[in-house]
Amino acid sequence: MKSKNCPEQLKDKIAVITGGSSGIGLATAKLFVGQGAHVYITGRRKAELDKAKAAIGNNVTAVQGDVANLDDLDRLFKVIGAEKKVIDVVFANAGFVEHRTIDQLTLEHYDKTMNINLRGVMFTVHKALPLMTRGGSIILNASIVADKGLPAHGAYGATKAALRSLAKTWTSELKDRGIRVNTLSPGATDTPIIDGQFTSKAQADAAKATFGSMTPLGRLGRPEEQAAAALFLASDSSSFITGIDLPVDGGLAQV
Amino acid sequence: MSKKLEGKVAVVTGGSAGIGLGTAKRFAVEGARVFITGRRELELSKAAAEIGHGATPIHGDTSNLADIEHIYTTVKAKAGRIDVLFVNAGFYEFGKFGEVTEQHFDKTFDTNVRGLFFTVQKALPLLSAGASVILNGSIASIKGIATLSVYNATKAAVRSFARSWILDLKGTGIRVNVLSPGTTDTPGLSKLLTNEHKAGAVANVPLARLGTPDDMSHAAVFLASEDSAYITGIELFVDGGVAQY
Repeated sequence: MKSKNCPEQLKDKIAVITGGSSGIGLATAKLFVGQGAHVYITGRRKAELDKAKAAIGNNVTAVQGDVANLDDLDRLFKVIGAEKKVIDVVFANAGFVEHRTIDQLTLEHYDKTMNINLRGVMFTVHKALPLMTRGGSIILNASIVADKGLPAHGAYGATKAALRSLAKTWTSELKDRGIRVNTLSPGATDTPIIDGQFTSKAQADAAKATFGSMTPLGRLGRPEEQAAAALFLASDSSSFITGIDLPVDGGLAQV
Repeated sequence: MSKKLEGKVAVVTGGSAGIGLGTAKRFAVEGARVFITGRRELELSKAAAEIGHGATPIHGDTSNLADIEHIYTTVKAKAGRIDVLFVNAGFYEFGKFGEVTEQHFDKTFDTNVRGLFFTVQKALPLLSAGASVILNGSIASIKGIATLSVYNATKAAVRSFARSWILDLKGTGIRVNVLSPGTTDTPGLSKLLTNEHKAGAVANVPLARLGTPDDMSHAAVFLASEDSAYITGIELFVDGGVAQY
């Protein structure tokens, strides 16, 4: 994407991407760095995070941490405050999915889903705000599951619908600071988080084929395609866009 | 990739002024070969000159099916295909419920619904695999606004078209999305609203200003380009947040 004809879209911007070790978070971190940003990535697993940092190369800082742990978030923003003083872009991307129908609900499943997907996002944004610049962009990684009645995704879907609601509320609350807030809603995307939901590769592949054929564009999305949409929401190309949901789903939830 | 629309053939209907002109300009800057259409021949040639980069004006009214045929015959002869179609031509006038005339109703639907429908249907033989169709909608599709019930219904219809067309077009790789501006400062708006009214409209906008054709052009480039390769059937609001909270 980078060339002399095409100016870098995030030149000298400071971006934070939670859950940056793999999938959509990692692809977005790579793209943001390629577009001139310095990116802070977080992740729970040290080894995966170090691999991601090596894959991204320059202009990336990895800070190990869990968004469900408020002390970890404090440490993250303390580091950024000390090193860069400001944040221009927050991509609250860290998320957790585990299949449980309402009959199978456990307190552990409920707490883990809520703590990462909802509490984690709320406190990521709450703690990032003091560092955020005028014209900054907050992107919440939601999901089309928020609008779909997908079986065994009750807690997950509820957290994602909550993010959509938060974007609306924060749009109002942050209007005087010129900070934009939008949700990105991926459809079925070919990432490790999909594979992790199935016990075998054959099962995962069968599920991917089903999702692909259900999708009007006839295939799964790629992490790089989600990253391109995140870049649009992060950059000045979307400077008049706030409070929206941007579905990147091949049409799956649009029909 | 040097530019976002390098080598693409783009058609912008209603390209003489406002959002259409602003978008046509950016499409050209991003490397597209641009065709613009419009009803007013003089304004249209002025706009083409302003766009530069070899932009081609094609005179025609897209609420008239014969004109649509003429437009595509010309594009086919000159470029052979269409990669990006921005169906932007639209008609807007106030009509309070209780006082709406048949003429107001028909003109609004003929341009915004019937014209838009056939502008896309007649383009199908020219649309390349992976082409991007962008329908200019409006936040009116999801808002109740006094004295605009007919216009608002046309925009709800436009949003609906995208949902079903992506199913009819499955397998073609053609994407269809709706770009829905909020109140945008264009020559057309200035004919309808005084500066005082414009200032009043800004008060409810979280980003504290009206939109500009330039804002819309950036969103249109996103929907036209490979950056949105996995996006179809959506409504992209570019409204400063006014209809989002």
